[in-house]
Amino acid sequence: MIEQLKIDFDKINESLKLSSKSLELRKQNLNQFVENGFPNKRLEDWKFSDLNQIITSNIKNLSFYNNTTQTEIDESIFIKNFKHNKIVFINGEISGVDLSYEDEAKIILTKDLDHNQSLKEVNPLVSLNNALILTYIKMTIKESYSLNKPLIIYNVTTKDLKSTVLNFKIEIILEKNSSLKLVSLSSDSSEDNFINIVQNFNIEKDAVLKNYQIDNKQNSNIKYFYNNINLEKNSVSENFIFSMGSKFIKNEINCNLNEQYSSAFINGIIKLKDSQHHEIKTNINHFAENTKSHQLIKSVLNDKAKGIYQGKIYVDTKAQKTNGYQLSKALLLDDKTEFNGKPELEIYADDVKCSHGSTSGNLDEDSIFYLMSRGLSNQQSKELLINGFLLDAVEKITDLEIKNFIRDMMGITE
Amino acid sequence: MLEIKNLKAEINKKEILKGLNLEIKPGEVHAIMGPNGSGKSTLSNVLSGKKGYDVSGDVKYLNENLLDLEIEERAHKGIFLAFQYPLEIPGVNTNIFLKTSLNAIKKAKNEKQLDAIEFLKLVKQKALELKFDEKILSRQLNVGFSGGEKKKNEILQMSILNPKLSILDETDSGLDIDALKIVSEGVNALRSKESSFLIITHYQRLLDYIKPDFVHVLIDGQIVKSGGSELALELENKGYESLS
Repeated sequence: MIEQLKIDFDKINESLKLSSKSLELRKQNLNQFVENGFPNKRLEDWKFSDLNQIITSNIKNLSFYNNTTQTEIDESIFIKNFKHNKIVFINGEISGVDLSYEDEAKIILTKDLDHNQSLKEVNPLVSLNNALILTYIKMTIKESYSLNKPLIIYNVTTKDLKSTVLNFKIEIILEKNSSLKLVSLSSDSSEDNFINIVQNFNIEKDAVLKNYQIDNKQNSNIKYFYNNINLEKNSVSENFIFSMGSKFIKNEINCNLNEQYSSAFINGIIKLKDSQHHEIKTNINHFAENTKSHQLIKSVLNDKAKGIYQGKIYVDTKAQKTNGYQLSKALLLDDKTEFNGKPELEIYADDVKCSHGSTSGNLDEDSIFYLMSRGLSNQQSKELLINGFLLDAVEKITDLEIKNFIRDMMGITE
Repeated sequence: MLEIKNLKAEINKKEILKGLNLEIKPGEVHAIMGPNGSGKSTLSNVLSGKKGYDVSGDVKYLNENLLDLEIEERAHKGIFLAFQYPLEIPGVNTNIFLKTSLNAIKKAKNEKQLDAIEFLKLVKQKALELKFDEKILSRQLNVGFSGGEKKKNEILQMSILNPKLSILDETDSGLDIDALKIVSEGVNALRSKESSFLIITHYQRLLDYIKPDFVHVLIDGQIVKSGGSELALELENKGYESLS
């Protein structure tokens, strides 16, 4: 693997015209990955998801350089539920940007890799991403600008994808008092790839980011998302994760509440079947006074599926008056399903309000009887109860248009 | 309409119904009274198909063997159980549930399903008749409903689904006198030559409002005495002790 990695690393760098400084950084990152390799279950953060084992058993020959030319955009993947701006990634390359609803002077786009500010020594996967990314997009929303329409980032993979590993990175800067509604939508037709996506968000004073990540189409890919979120004074980060389609996902959110009155909301649904395996891992760092975080994760597991939620709330000594909350509820619908919940509270301040809760169980037989006695089939009754169970996480979505879109996607009608 | 012969039911190896016989003809209202633990709720559960019981005996419903039918098939063929303790179903909107239920039954009967507008018209009219606040219907099913609202909701469902055989399991329990009147009026409005009722109750009070054609006394899993509506009054005065 390492040999192929080094060959591909050189090929990638030959194809890019990078500054010597960037190149040096990439080499450092490559070495960091080479030293550690893919994370395995001996690492505390990976004990429920042995990525090394998952990659080894699903991907035969690892390769890292995708030298295919761009593919035509299949417009049928575009959603028609509401008007939106678009950025389309196909096999990790930017195939289209459409910001026609916006004042283009207010949005600065950069694709120059020399501008990539690599997140340092987070973990080997972020290092791998830093070392190998072919394309990168950085978007800066100027001060006090609120986008007129949501932005959808389409993450498309196709059968043309040559490499088995794909890295890409998105960076979004929200300047003071600006706002953005962002939807990331996966659409995969490549098979058995490892897709490593790093996203970095800087949310400045009074800015609001609503970030909805949707992975609903069934596919055999293995995905790792690393989301880093920095929050300044009085800014808001609202996140919703709909984790359903891929074979494996680990979605990691590292959220730094750096200044007073900033708040972070992480709500999500994990809905799995067959032998799917999804994890949501959060680190919420309260570094300043009067900061707030709220997390609600609902999981529904069928067949042999495995769901994991590791939620950590860290409260620094300075972060008095912190309000931190997390709740995880799981429905295990089959004897062979597995759910692992690991709540962690690490608190160094004394005047804080923090709580967590975790439940798991099956559907209530009496409720099924009640619904069936009204003429619903067993299947219909279960679906109604499952959707009802998931609904309160969906109800946390504050954007009505997107909430309805996700409700439609789940088959909940009104 | 319903003919029960030698019905036995046990749960966790404990026999609850010990050879029960009962016949209900179209248009009749039967009341079953009995002390705690006599098997009243087991009877209603067994008739509506709840799992977990070992059942034997013969139950003919509209010339079919009722015990062979699944829970939802019984509902499709016109059996309705008003629950003693209606369940709270979080995240399920009451209106959506009612429409899903009505259309599931209509579909099974090969009848035209109602669209949203037709349904709302029907539900508004029924809610008005039962003096049921329509706003409640946009809330989650039974979640946070008062005891009275839950019972009224059962009767509303009954009146929308228009069943042939309605089983009311202690519908009067937990109701104040005003709610009891409204619920009784709702039941009386559904009485017809084609529809029958089996009313299960502890107390005679409900039977002041819904006048039964027959009253049966259930003690220790068997019907020990049957009579007309006057039997309810007699029980009220003398208690069950006199019969056991």
